[in-house]
Formats: sequence, C-alpha cells, structure tokens
Amino acid sequence: MAYRKICRFCERSIRRIDYKDEPALGRFLTDRGKILPRRATGTCARHQRQLGTAIKRARYLALIPYIQGHHS
Amino acid sequence: MRDYEVVYIFKSALTSEEIEERLGRHHEKLLAGADSEITAVEHWGKRQLAYPIDRNDNGYYVVAQFTSEPDALPEFERALKLDDQLLRHLVVLSEGELPAPPSHREDQTAEEETGRKSNGPEDTATEKGEEE
Repeated sequence: MAYRKICRFCERSIRRIDYKDEPALGRFLTDRGKILPRRATGTCARHQRQLGTAIKRARYLALIPYIQGHHS
Repeated sequence: MRDYEVVYIFKSALTSEEIEERLGRHHEKLLAGADSEITAVEHWGKRQLAYPIDRNDNGYYVVAQFTSEPDALPEFERALKLDDQLLRHLVVLSEGELPAPPSHREDQTAEEETGRKSNGPEDTATEKGEEE
C-alpha cells in the first residue's frame, strides 16, 4: 500500500469507525488478514485505535477472517 | 440509560418465523425494564461466515439497537448464551447511527458537536488533565 500522509478517516470526518462495514475495513488488512500498521496506511493515532477495535469486533462476528486463507 | 447495539448470528437453517420468535423472546426480556426501548431492527439475512463457527458456514445476521439500563444487560446476555440456535452475539454501546447493511455508506455525518462524546460516562467531568 502506498504511503499516505492523510488519515482516511479524518479526511472524511468519520467519528466512529463501524465494525459492521466490512468492505471498508479490508483496506487496512494485509492479504493474510493482519492489521496493517499506521506507517503503511497513514491512519492517525486516534483512528488507528478505533480501527483495531472495529477489526477485532468484525473478526468475532465472522465478517472478516482471523487468518485469511486458513482452512482447518 | 444507554444506547446499545446488538448483533445476532443465528443458524441459517432456521426459518424466518423461528428467528422472529427468538428475537421476540430475547427482546421481551429487555423491554421488561423501566423505559427500555428497541429503536431499530435490521435483518441482514443469510451471509457467509468468514470462518466456520461450530461447523456452520453460513449465518443469519440481525442487528438491533435499543435503549436500556445497564443492569438489564447481564440477564439479557445470559439468555442469549443459552440459546443454542444462536451462533454468536455481540452487544456494544451504540455509535448513534442506524444499522446499515454491510455495503458502504456514502453520507458522512456532517454536523455534530465536538470531540469524544460516546466514549464513556459524560457526567464524570474529568478535566483530562492538561488544558486543551
């Protein structure tokens, strides 16, 4: 992912990141489903914290996988 | 009084009547409280799970918002845990928006008052240490 200076959430003045918005969260995950670091996405600190919570909630609800491509 | 949001994932084999019946039963528990209220119920319908839960590959998602006293929640959640047709549930403090299906939102919330509102009890009035 290309380096971005501007936080995508601040840009659109999003106050609370929605854990139900699975397509939007996908952008902040690696192709294996890990959370991308701030330095890769340009997210600001406040939104990165919210993003972490949102992603973990979405994982719990099976909206996004814990591990992409893992089949037990 | 707090605003909450609950997500249910039912087994997808249930008929819609069975799901309605269960929702009704669970919500009835909540509504027993003083002025608790169900403000919105949104059926996402059947959806593929990102990973199997108890060997189920699909689930029927329902999102509801409600207002209730916090003391009503332990009993509510206890009842949810006992429902063996419910694969998962999640109760969180509501973020104040209506539950939209998992696609995309185009409208951003434009007007709102400042800062960290729905983060915690607003009446505690801690000054956050240093001046802004």
